[in-house]
Amino acid sequence: MLTFVIRRLLVTIPMLLVISFLVYLGLELTPGDAVSHMIDPESASRMSEEEFAALREALGLNKSFIQRYGIWLTNVVQGNFGHSLSGGVAISTIVFDRLPATLELSVFALVFSTIFGCILGTISALHRGSTTDSSLTVFGMIGVSIPEFFFGLVAILIFALHFDWLPVGGRLLPGYTSYFDHLPNIILPGLVLSMMMTAGVMRYSRSAMLDSLSREFIRTARSKGLPDWRINLVHGFRVALTPVVVLIGFRLPTLIGGSVIIEEVFQWPGIGSEFIEAVRGADYPLVMFIALLSVFAVLMASLIVDVLTALIDPRVRLN
Amino acid sequence: MGHAALNRKFDRIRAREEAGLNKPQSGNRALRKLLSNPLAVAGLVIFAIILLASIFAPFLTPNDPQAINLRAMLNAPSAEHWFGTDRTGRDVFARVLYGGRVSILVGLGSALLAAVVGVGIGAYTGYRGGWLDTIALRVSEIFMSFPQIILVLLLVSIIGQSLINLIIIFVLTGWGSMYRMTRARMLSLREEEYVQALQSFGVPTVKICYKHILPNALGPIMVNITLTTAMFILAEAGLSFLGLGVPLSIPTWGNILNVAKDIRVLENNWWMWLPVGLVISLFVLSVNFIGDGLRDSTDPTLQG
Repeated sequence: MLTFVIRRLLVTIPMLLVISFLVYLGLELTPGDAVSHMIDPESASRMSEEEFAALREALGLNKSFIQRYGIWLTNVVQGNFGHSLSGGVAISTIVFDRLPATLELSVFALVFSTIFGCILGTISALHRGSTTDSSLTVFGMIGVSIPEFFFGLVAILIFALHFDWLPVGGRLLPGYTSYFDHLPNIILPGLVLSMMMTAGVMRYSRSAMLDSLSREFIRTARSKGLPDWRINLVHGFRVALTPVVVLIGFRLPTLIGGSVIIEEVFQWPGIGSEFIEAVRGADYPLVMFIALLSVFAVLMASLIVDVLTALIDPRVRLN
Repeated sequence: MGHAALNRKFDRIRAREEAGLNKPQSGNRALRKLLSNPLAVAGLVIFAIILLASIFAPFLTPNDPQAINLRAMLNAPSAEHWFGTDRTGRDVFARVLYGGRVSILVGLGSALLAAVVGVGIGAYTGYRGGWLDTIALRVSEIFMSFPQIILVLLLVSIIGQSLINLIIIFVLTGWGSMYRMTRARMLSLREEEYVQALQSFGVPTVKICYKHILPNALGPIMVNITLTTAMFILAEAGLSFLGLGVPLSIPTWGNILNVAKDIRVLENNWWMWLPVGLVISLFVLSVNFIGDGLRDSTDPTLQG
């Protein structure tokens, strides 16, 4: 098992390096450099060429591209992620400020959508072909067809503006101090994100459950005279859970990126809305770091999924 | 079933055929199956209506989507303006119709281009194998290591915002899954006996893989194209909503819906965002219905 994990890690690290190099190269090709972003046009027009050159040299921009990439990489490995171009805040500070909000929202949505999706998917599979099944399927498809921000806006309109039951968004309003004070704030964005994610889990668990129910061991269980609920839940659902676990594993990256758009709609101060700000403001160091962080999350999630499937299915390990 | 029973069964079938009850079915089997699926038919109808309404927009509305009319700002829907007017008096109905042209072009066009790129590469490298296959696989892995929205936004920040760039970005983010799927199909299909027969006849490699093997992988490719179209239309709307998609001067569904970011518009001027939101949802739903129907009718593992 350990060798399997190590082997997978050995594939993952070069991948991260190549991707970081490509992203660095891509952002290098964009017009302008750090100096042109740091200095507003008015003061830039008053500066001489020598002053520019001195500034570039001070920032290390006169070094070759490969050298700069090398320096950046060494810094990142040592835990120094650089500074945001707007405001000059350390990127690590920004990420640590924003990550808890994103984690909160995504964990909420991940837990809720998994529970809800599994229940609905199982019901759907057990009543295959019934009206319940087909209406759940249609609802699921409607769920994946509505733009998430549109759904979010309608939710804001109904629950926050019309009935005034829940706050529109944001996380810690002034005056709120304890952790539980902002509980009402997460309900709306959390539920909207969960609803969008439930459809996928439902669909997946339905087909996994159907597959599992058609196996021989179900017939064996039935022939033993076990009660229906036991056959369905203990024998059927347990096996159906494996592919669902895989699906959830692939959703883990949302823990980092959050749902970028949902965060923006609800003004949720997470990594996703920070990323959008960075893209809008051409804050390349921040764009690059968040993008790489999300790649890291994807690669780690797929590693975890592989390890889990290897644990469950020994055939994978031997390959 | 005993021999005699089987014979009786065949006799019955033959009798029915002679009586003209069992018509030999004509046409493509998958198409017939698709057309017997009520959801897929509903999808096709909605898809056709919205597509045709966008294409023939000039015949459906006399209004210019870009014409500013300061005498008719923020008008509620009326006989003259079916979906009302926006803040500068532009007719929302006309904007939704003309916006559909761009949104559908971006969604469907990018999905088709992504399919050409992904399937084109996947079919050849999957069939040939070797170092070319390894390189293509690694490149696709790089693209697929990003969460989709993050990659799209990253590329927007690298190559900038425009209609063409958006299509390029969607192709770059969408070709990977097409490539993966085609490659996987090719890997199993290239072991078939008919392929060995073609090889032994000396048929050129390119001809074997594109003309003889590829058609056998068309079902899943078509399903993938429809689902990718749905995804891209949602992505365009989302990006335009963030103000990072198609430049605001061009009406698209996402750009029209963008106004709902303003809470006052959201609360007071429902006609500016609700109809277009419903049109996007209906269109994507119809594409998903078609895709689902196609999957049921072409995937042999889902029969019955």
